[in-house]
Amino acid sequence: MQATARKRIWNLGLLIGLLSLIIASCGSNTATPTSAPSSTSLDLSNWTSIEQAANGQTVNWYMWGGSDSINRFVDEFYGKALKERYNITLNRVPVADTVDVVNQLLSEKEAGKTSGAVDLIWINGENFASLKQAKLLRGDWGQSLPNSQYVNWNNPAVNLDFGEPVESLESPWSSAQFQLIYDSAKLQASDLPRSYAALKEYACANPGKVSYIAPGPGAFQGTRFVKQALFEISGGAEQWLGAFNQQLWDQWSPKLWEYFNDLEGCLWREGSTYPKTENELHSLFANGEVDFSITQAIAGAGSLIKENLVPASARAFVFDDNMIGDFNYVAIPSTAPNPAAALVLANLILDPQLQAAQILPENGFGLGYGIDPTKVSDPALAAKLASAAQQLGDPATPASDLAKSLRSDIAAEYQSLIEQGWDANVLRK
Amino acid sequence: MSYRKLVLLLAFLLIVPIAIFLVYAFAQGWFFPALWPERWDSELFLRQLRDPQVRRGFEQSLVVATGVSGLALLLGYPAARVLELQQFRGRGLIYGLFFLPTVVPSVATGIGLNIVFLRLDLAGTLFGVMLVHLIPVLPYVVLTLGSSLAHYDRNYEHQAAVLGASPWLVFWRVSLPLLLPSLVVAGVLAFLISWSQYVLSLLIGGGKIITLPMLLFSAASGGNYSLIASLSLIFIAPLLLLLGLVARYLGSPATGATPRP
Repeated sequence: MQATARKRIWNLGLLIGLLSLIIASCGSNTATPTSAPSSTSLDLSNWTSIEQAANGQTVNWYMWGGSDSINRFVDEFYGKALKERYNITLNRVPVADTVDVVNQLLSEKEAGKTSGAVDLIWINGENFASLKQAKLLRGDWGQSLPNSQYVNWNNPAVNLDFGEPVESLESPWSSAQFQLIYDSAKLQASDLPRSYAALKEYACANPGKVSYIAPGPGAFQGTRFVKQALFEISGGAEQWLGAFNQQLWDQWSPKLWEYFNDLEGCLWREGSTYPKTENELHSLFANGEVDFSITQAIAGAGSLIKENLVPASARAFVFDDNMIGDFNYVAIPSTAPNPAAALVLANLILDPQLQAAQILPENGFGLGYGIDPTKVSDPALAAKLASAAQQLGDPATPASDLAKSLRSDIAAEYQSLIEQGWDANVLRK
Repeated sequence: MSYRKLVLLLAFLLIVPIAIFLVYAFAQGWFFPALWPERWDSELFLRQLRDPQVRRGFEQSLVVATGVSGLALLLGYPAARVLELQQFRGRGLIYGLFFLPTVVPSVATGIGLNIVFLRLDLAGTLFGVMLVHLIPVLPYVVLTLGSSLAHYDRNYEHQAAVLGASPWLVFWRVSLPLLLPSLVVAGVLAFLISWSQYVLSLLIGGGKIITLPMLLFSAASGGNYSLIASLSLIFIAPLLLLLGLVARYLGSPATGATPRP
């Protein structure tokens, strides 16, 4: 009995081995493209044909899902409109980090797929640069959408994404500008620091009550905070525009590290540790450990108050100069299974009515316009956009302050120099 | 310290996090140094319960975890039986192979398998996600069943066979009742491990399959404590229910001490 059992086991093992060999060989055979590329057949000059092709499709929109209020804004404002106007179903796929989508697309490419899972991605910066470099984005549509007429494509803040030319690979969704947040129950507007120099004085007069987000990949707010200090210390942002200038960097970076090393001793926990995300800083601010937080939203503290992340007395403010503003975008992978529906959604996002809705804090999104309101000629729509901008309320930074301090971002090379330089010269010193 | 106190301390340590979830899910606007939240509000929690995305995540998690639990027993029982009850060359080696997945990080297996699964058209399917969950699940199922089978007396089965029972009848009337506690424990273990998988579901699901941990991780990246706590409560509720249902099997007979004659 023992002998037959043993024989049976060996037979079974052999069978399993053979089976797995067969499966493995099937795998490598199917590596050649199996489904026909659907992306080439769309005619963007005939928008009605796109809407017809999109009818009944489901659009898989992959986006960072960490904000309950943004998720709800997307479902309520875009999900409903897509269904009612175009019979398109919105499948919002929440991801913890957009780099997961980049990896998914790279895996699909590796496996030789021509039709993947992702139709649309909320994206900017380094993830856009990776996908552009890997040639994984559809490139024929960004400036051809009907509503693209409202976008100011001549604005370098729109046509460059962290210094990378956008071409027609992306279409803007919204804009953001660097701002700080304070608690109006604790501080008077007149006592606020309005420059990096004043911030250092404030920090050293109130030791431990100031911190900022550690610069690094995935924490662009921290990088931006340091970059803006560079503008101030070097005497102005203009000289940094244009192509990367190594000489200019070598001239001013030692002064930059000097500023941050001087500041460090006055910071929260004397700079031995820094918050890594905006939300960590919000939490320190909300619990009264530090006096300032950081936001990029045009609604200022409005959406954060609504989400109970900061106290209701929180207000946004800016320095007098050097507050970097930029745009964020949606992109369509070249392997999108439902490109027509993705195009319709990207176009819908630029609809002036929905653009007016997205800036209002009570709707939960709170970032600024992706379009240029002055390009909207219809008087009713223009009035709607103007009135939305006036309804931002107290938690937002006054529009004139934002405009006065607005600066555009600079060449991408500075990004990594700042991140590595800060790590070596400030954090590890 | 007596064992009794130690057990109470452990129970306390296990209950505290759940209590904290309860507080955070319903407390709104609670900032230091306030001793008490600004207000209590169940709106956010109830909205998560109604949210179609959360419902879909819950359903898909349930289907996957149940499927994995069934598949794991189907594969794990014969494997554990052969490994424990037969003597053959390379037995130790094969046993070791079964435990390899517990050592290799799932990101590594996940990224490699995602490409294989994409080629086989298994990526983005419920079945594909179940298959990939078997990797971390099977070692524990085989271990649980194996340690129970180590004390198992096959003479009961021989006795039934001698009396004329078919192999199926032997399994149904003899093996199954004797091994039931460890089968239940192994099945529950499989369910628990599958229920909390994140990386493998994310990679193989590719966004087409959305499970609760994926919603939980994306909420955690936003740092809204009320939202995270609400989703955590939804995440742990079925597990507590399941553990309650099988509590009687979780005692001493769990890992194998089926009574010997």
